[in-house]
Amino acid sequence: MKKSKYIQLVLITAALASCNQAKKPDWDDNAKMHIRSDSTAPYTNVYHHGGIGTALLWYYAFRPYGNYNNGYYQRAGYYSSAIHPSSNIGSNGFKAAVSRGGFGRSGFSVSS
Amino acid sequence: MQRNQIIARNNWQNEVEKLGFGFHSTNVPYWDESVYYSFEMPEILAIEKATNELWNLCLGAVQHVMDNNLYSQFKIPECAIPMIEKSWTEDHPAIYGRFDLCYKDGQIKLLEFNADTPTSLYEAGIVQWFWLQDFDKNKDQFNSVHEKLINYWKYLKNYLNPGTLHFTCLKETLEDLTNTEYLRDCAIQAGIETKLVFIDDIGWDNDGKQFLDLEDEPIKNIFKLYPWEWLLAESFGQNIPHDSNRALWIEPAWKMILSNKAILPILWELYPDCPYLLPAYFEQGTLTNYVKKPFLSREGANIDLVMKHISLAKSDGQYGNEGFIFQELFTLPNYADHYPVIGSWVIGQEAAGIGIREADSLITDNKSRFVPHLIQ
Repeated sequence: MKKSKYIQLVLITAALASCNQAKKPDWDDNAKMHIRSDSTAPYTNVYHHGGIGTALLWYYAFRPYGNYNNGYYQRAGYYSSAIHPSSNIGSNGFKAAVSRGGFGRSGFSVSS
Repeated sequence: MQRNQIIARNNWQNEVEKLGFGFHSTNVPYWDESVYYSFEMPEILAIEKATNELWNLCLGAVQHVMDNNLYSQFKIPECAIPMIEKSWTEDHPAIYGRFDLCYKDGQIKLLEFNADTPTSLYEAGIVQWFWLQDFDKNKDQFNSVHEKLINYWKYLKNYLNPGTLHFTCLKETLEDLTNTEYLRDCAIQAGIETKLVFIDDIGWDNDGKQFLDLEDEPIKNIFKLYPWEWLLAESFGQNIPHDSNRALWIEPAWKMILSNKAILPILWELYPDCPYLLPAYFEQGTLTNYVKKPFLSREGANIDLVMKHISLAKSDGQYGNEGFIFQELFTLPNYADHYPVIGSWVIGQEAAGIGIREADSLITDNKSRFVPHLIQ
């Protein structure tokens, strides 16, 4: 039934072990936080289910955002799905050309 | 098939975490190695045969639904039909599915088919295999999940669009991420260039009519652990037919037919002599002992088990707007008030192994436990 005696994992062990070490930030649940992702955008208050104190810190991480031009990567800014769209885009024309967040609203897990 | 109680490894949490299995417990263990199931080889061969036959019947049923335009019976929106038929006629890549089977008194019966977004793949392919190496490495297991995943990714590599194969799932769910990253791990070992992008982060470039990752790399191929009915209900879903890259979505859109429980009455109508199928209908009709299931539901939600018009077990949930099917009752076997369901994997068109989830009630819900198995 089992054909091989050797199983190798090249990616998953390290990647998931690191993901599983989420630390609870020591902000209190009622703390208010205003965030923007680039200096051309207005600050807005952050809302997240359960409040900041119960959320995983990495959810708020700002992910690098850019494009390739003639083989070179140009960073255009940062993006976080935890903050209001207006605070992600601002007047940065490059970021405004692409909309994000159009998937991923239907559930918290697909577990079946 | 026997249930055996044993002492779990002293340090089992550490052992499974070393494998990258981080969601082994909630407030109670989800991974439960204080129990295992043992099978005789003829029993395993019977499950393998049933799985292969059911897969072939399912392919026939998909063709039947298309030929007879039965989409309305599945409550599949009209806008999805061209996508479904295109993915079928162009043979878009598909890699896996999981039949949930009831094995009792020598009979194997199909309860449902998780054809689009099955989970527990990592537990079945990796965690229970390494458990067996510690418990009794001279024994065997019905488990070629890992080898088949790598081999089938190698095969599918030739059918992908040129470029990266993206993998996507929801953020904030370690279970979904583990399943997705495991599939990506196998694709990497098959020599495919891959990238992870959370589904919440996917971008739509309206000028170029294309989906982009966070580095603005166009998405040409994408494995998604995210159901088609959710994709289509969301704002970006309407962009899929207009995608200038014609990205290949895995699992393909035709899996919408098989992952919908409306397939169960269709299968019964087409193949009433199949020993693995239970009578199933769109109406209760003359059934007095039956299970009422929503077309689309997850983790045993909104299920009603009825015997002689009296409800034996019922679960809550948010599903059922699309409608229900009625399947003749065939209760799970009772092992000292534990009820196992066998998840039988199809990978690359072939039976590939099993994973067992055990519940304390007749409905296998989100509190069920994954327990390992071996072949005697």
